[in-house]
Amino acid sequence: MSAFVASLPALSRRGLARHGFLAIIALCFIGFAVANPSFVGAANLVNILSGAVIPLVVGLGMTLVVALGAIDLSVGIALDFGSAFAIVILKDYGAPWYLAVLVGIAGGALVGLANAILIVRLRISPFLATLGTFFIGGSLQRIFTHGGGPISYRRLPPEYYDIAVGEVFGIPVRLLIATALLIAYFLLLERSTFGKKIHAVGLQSRAARGAGLPVGKLVAIGFVLAGATAAVGGLVASANLRMFTPLAGNAYLMDAITAVFIGASMHRDGRPNVLGTLTGVLFLSMVANGLNLMGLDFNLKDALSGLILVAALALSITQHRRRT
Amino acid sequence: MTAPVLPLTPVSPPAGASDFLVLEAISKGFPGVQALDGAGLGVRAGEIHGVVGENGAGKSTLIKVLAGVYRPDAGRILLNGAEIETGSPDAVQAAGVRFIHQELNLVPHFTVAETIFLGQELSGPFGLRTGAMRRAAEAFLKDSLDAAIAGNRLIADLGIAERKLVQIARALIDGKARVVVFDEPTAPLSHTEIEHLFRAIDALARRGIAMIYVSHYLSEITRICHRVSVLRNGRNVGLVDPVGPDDADRLISLMVGRDIGDLYPKRNHAAAAPWLKLTSLSQSPHYADVDLELRRGEIVGLAGLIGSGREELVDTIVGLARPASGSISIDGRPLRSGSTAAAAGRGLAHVPRDRRNDGLVLAMNVADNINLASLEAVSTGGFVRRGAATTRAQQSAEALDIRPKTVSTAARLLSGGNQQKVVLARGLATGASLFVLDEPTIGVDVGAKAEIYALIERLAAEGAAVLVSSSDPAELLGLCDRILVLLRGRIVAEVTPETTDLDRLVALTTGGDAAGGIAA
Repeated sequence: MSAFVASLPALSRRGLARHGFLAIIALCFIGFAVANPSFVGAANLVNILSGAVIPLVVGLGMTLVVALGAIDLSVGIALDFGSAFAIVILKDYGAPWYLAVLVGIAGGALVGLANAILIVRLRISPFLATLGTFFIGGSLQRIFTHGGGPISYRRLPPEYYDIAVGEVFGIPVRLLIATALLIAYFLLLERSTFGKKIHAVGLQSRAARGAGLPVGKLVAIGFVLAGATAAVGGLVASANLRMFTPLAGNAYLMDAITAVFIGASMHRDGRPNVLGTLTGVLFLSMVANGLNLMGLDFNLKDALSGLILVAALALSITQHRRRT
Repeated sequence: MTAPVLPLTPVSPPAGASDFLVLEAISKGFPGVQALDGAGLGVRAGEIHGVVGENGAGKSTLIKVLAGVYRPDAGRILLNGAEIETGSPDAVQAAGVRFIHQELNLVPHFTVAETIFLGQELSGPFGLRTGAMRRAAEAFLKDSLDAAIAGNRLIADLGIAERKLVQIARALIDGKARVVVFDEPTAPLSHTEIEHLFRAIDALARRGIAMIYVSHYLSEITRICHRVSVLRNGRNVGLVDPVGPDDADRLISLMVGRDIGDLYPKRNHAAAAPWLKLTSLSQSPHYADVDLELRRGEIVGLAGLIGSGREELVDTIVGLARPASGSISIDGRPLRSGSTAAAAGRGLAHVPRDRRNDGLVLAMNVADNINLASLEAVSTGGFVRRGAATTRAQQSAEALDIRPKTVSTAARLLSGGNQQKVVLARGLATGASLFVLDEPTIGVDVGAKAEIYALIERLAAEGAAVLVSSSDPAELLGLCDRILVLLRGRIVAEVTPETTDLDRLVALTTGGDAAGGIAA
């Protein structure tokens, strides 16, 4: 491998090192395809993308928070609140679908607002503040559902159901939603004045403060946005299953954090970034799907996906070091 | 000097007595600077020997050589005629040399006795002898330091002066101390607390301990010390023997001794209406009752030693801290305190003293840093126009001669002077009307200094109000229209460069000015 790398012209060698992780993703892809040819079938590729929708949505909010130099352990709770608020207002109040969407997003924003108050007003560290929200939010869900039973609503308005299963010109609506959020977050974080300020706060908050940036306000907005975004994931999940499943959101927490840090490790300056998070999410979704198709023991799967992740990162980082 | 002269000065060590501790022809160089160049020191038993000099004169290097922290390139240290190993803190400790550092470093929830005996506990067959340690600590404080402090009190409940005495007791409790070095012992103390400390130091002198007393406060040096060595540029430039209350001026002229030259541009400001106004601003224990008026087109300086409250005052003005009382107003309207964003919104640009931590986002490039505080000017609908942003940063970098010229360079790669220009460029880009410059040339080479001075001058000429806080009195005299002097948290004088020379300004900041007196 290294002899092969060394034989490449200098420019493309640098490119390969920067995008080492992409090359490793490609290798994994080929590996899964060889192990099971149906992996590369069109239906399965759509499966992979669909499986990536909720992790991506949650991961985008997480990218924003990590770019602020913080962490949000309560994104799963925000997702649950989005799902719960929407289902309850549909089922118990007969609200129209669009109102349910707005209320669901507001539910997630509420979780973010709680975080913002704890972090900015009470100056609790983001890790501990969002851990607190994580526990309180989880407990509230169990209390509300009398022990954690799902709230199902089979007669969803068709428009709401379409969030998960609908198609526009043959493209699943959930993919369109994810793509729209992806573009929005890309513009927000990589092109807007807000994004520049977010990065300044995350890189060196003392200097950002010295430059007169409203650091507290930026952090607060970041957490509210992250909560609201995770709630969109909750809308997709609740529409898909036609129910609110308490505490389901926490399953996405580790994937979101992992994807953000995979993305950051690929970035030139090691920064969390939207396209990197997308790559991380697709990688995780691909590995989960590929291992599934191989029909491996359920208990073995987590260990294998962990191994693949660590090996891939180690390889790409070794390549990165060799460059410098 | 208005403070009463205590009957302590005293008990002069026998004249002509030989020196107990001798530092002989010590040289120590660091890359790019010769910190000590044959400096020496001789201290008699029972003597309090002052060491003075400006920042960078070599005082702290000399003390660190004595402490064994640095091994000198040349020279030797003799204690009672016997040479002690240099560069070995253990050997120095074993020889009976003790250091009372400026920082207290005491554990707040330990008792006085626990603190004093920490690491040297008394123990008997039944474990620690708590009662014996408490009694021994109290007896030592009483007999050696003339202080009554109960051994079972918590450090957290003590005043700063009492903590200082506990710190001293801890260094001396083993009874083996023969030389004690005090480094700025009074910096955090109030006037009455200083008297308390001085009584203790005097008690030690009577017991025949040789003491070295390093301080910026010349009024203290002239009062408590028997002899004073003056350092400048790593060399001894004078030994005042004996030193008396009237020797402050003599010490200053020995300490200083350089020309300001043509480093500073000439100016002719037209005074306008007050722009920044501080009204009886107070923040205990840092500063109290500060009044200040600053007009557009004017450069006003803040002078004061470390610990004078100068840094805290600047932090309050720029919104990094809140005052306990008093008010700040800009252009006649009160400024919301404690918010840098509010201050920036009112046209205040801050150039912080800790450039690397507070000034620049080091990982961002020069263009992003220049634009950071005024992104709205190069954006449409919330999105940065990247071409416009780069162009503006480029123009700004050229106007200020920032090197390298490529604004895509990461800010951390620039030299100190160029980083400082980037911080100034960021303030300029906001169109600020009030600049607060904290140590504007710290860590900046001489060439870049002159450029920064010219730039500050231009800011004022173009109508900005400029406040310069600096620990370099020569810089303030060269740059400012007026200078306010802070001493122990109070403005003790307002002077103009026309009527004040360097000696007098240094005297004012050190409280060693006979005419001005010190804030009691």
